[in-house]
Amino acid sequence: MSITSFSFLCFFAAVLLLYYLIPKKAQWGFLLLVSCVFFLFSVRAADGGWYVVFCPLASVAAVYVAARLIDRTKEQKKKKAALICAVLFCIGLLCALKFFHLGLIAPMGISFYTLTLLGYLFDVYYEIGTVQNNYGKLLLFGCYFPTLVSGPIMKYKEMEGQLYQGRRFDYRRVTFGMQRMLWGFFKKLVISERMALVANEVFDNYGKYAGFEIWVGAVAFTFQLYTDFGGCMDIVLGISECFGIKLPENFNAPFLARNISEYWRRWHISLGNWLREYLFYPLLRTRFFMELPKKLKARLGKKGAKQATTFSAMFLLWFAIGYWHGGTWNYIIGSGLLHWFYIVSGELMEPVFARWRAFLHIEKEQRWFVWFARLRTFFLVTLGLVFFRNAEVLDAVRMIGRGFLAFNPQIFFNGTLFSLGLDWIEAVIAVVSLAILGWVSRLQQTEPVRERLEKRGILLRWAVLYALLFYVILLGQYGPGYSASEFIYQNFRV
Amino acid sequence: MSREEVFERLNAVFQDVFDDPSITVNDSTTADDIEDWDSLEHINLIAAVESEFGIKFSMGQVVTMKNVGEMADIILQKL
Repeated sequence: MSITSFSFLCFFAAVLLLYYLIPKKAQWGFLLLVSCVFFLFSVRAADGGWYVVFCPLASVAAVYVAARLIDRTKEQKKKKAALICAVLFCIGLLCALKFFHLGLIAPMGISFYTLTLLGYLFDVYYEIGTVQNNYGKLLLFGCYFPTLVSGPIMKYKEMEGQLYQGRRFDYRRVTFGMQRMLWGFFKKLVISERMALVANEVFDNYGKYAGFEIWVGAVAFTFQLYTDFGGCMDIVLGISECFGIKLPENFNAPFLARNISEYWRRWHISLGNWLREYLFYPLLRTRFFMELPKKLKARLGKKGAKQATTFSAMFLLWFAIGYWHGGTWNYIIGSGLLHWFYIVSGELMEPVFARWRAFLHIEKEQRWFVWFARLRTFFLVTLGLVFFRNAEVLDAVRMIGRGFLAFNPQIFFNGTLFSLGLDWIEAVIAVVSLAILGWVSRLQQTEPVRERLEKRGILLRWAVLYALLFYVILLGQYGPGYSASEFIYQNFRV
Repeated sequence: MSREEVFERLNAVFQDVFDDPSITVNDSTTADDIEDWDSLEHINLIAAVESEFGIKFSMGQVVTMKNVGEMADIILQKL
């Protein structure tokens, strides 16, 4: 069941109504039931083997048992054994179903709920989190239905106070949630689906195109992915807000980032946080990485040794990020190692860049330079996404090569642009919508837009909301099969 | 060791790790107050503090300590 489908909206409306009608004590149980129903629907829709139903149950059970063992026993060895067993089980299941291509069907949301559950387990192991002794409650934490689509990855510490608490109907909260959903539909249906037409045309026939045509297609895909994943997150967080449960944010205007490190603090935030806390930190704390600077000090000096250590640990981190996205080289390079290369070369080149800036009398905070840095970051990200979108690494290399093959700015004036999947009316709608998105994102940086609207009169607020609603209804691209417009992050990562 | 002494030695460690002799830390100093204190430097800092005091932080402490005051408390506990 796609969350942009009409049947899902009906399902959601019914669930929301019932949620606030039943006793508060029963609300978390009801959410668990709904999550199970949602999961079962997704199994049927995927026409998959019924065994996938047991996957989340088994992962939650493994984590549940291990966490309780770790909490009860005093022996460090037993704690460690329980941790390792549960981690191996969950990661093994994830790899077997998703990455090893054994011809099995992976259950919905497995890459997300696996990390969510393991984060909880690590927190118990590190003694910074509490234990959940109710299997049903832990199951709800793992499989809370809005997050099954494509995250965000949750932290138990942030959720335990929210998920199991009963709530009364709150008009402001529910309307805020619905406004956020509407904004998500705008991103997904109006922008992403249009960008997809251009991206599909150029990527699928890149041999036909060269120069700026290639870059138009590549940029279209970057916007497609952002509005697709970001829009999905708006809908998911909006749904959850209607239930009074605040999920962690996954995006913070990523294209305003001035460098790649900042980009990763703004894009897929919950994944970045998870990997930093549960993979990168522990990795750097292993004996190998603790000793490495001492060994390298003689050859590289103090600063160099520290850098080399960090860079090698980062290599593993970025490999993991790339691998998590799909387990094939196009992902490992496009959203992994290429970014590692960007960050490392940026750090190493920084003294040179600083000298250039001094020579040219450029201040880092100058307005035009900030925008230059943002544009540069956007271009680097787009290059990575060319790998991400092409199944074969060689195709990506060839496509980027064709991008540099010709210099043809005339395509922007002679009408060629409108043969790339969008005619001129559609292209104008796309550009105007992107401009609205950019403008609202910038407003959001200083004060949440929904709160700004709330302060204005009811007339203006309703006018804006209705305008947006009709904009989405009239201009939303529902595609040939309306319910078939699914999210990339859902398709790719199941 | 007194709390003051701990802070004195912490100052030296911070100055060394961040290559900035003007840094002085107090109870409420956080990562936001020191420019280069990002997630990477955090681990380097932890390692430097550990070798200075001959102690070992647990992973939980590494990710949850909120300011230098908490760090000093943990150090005093462990000494």
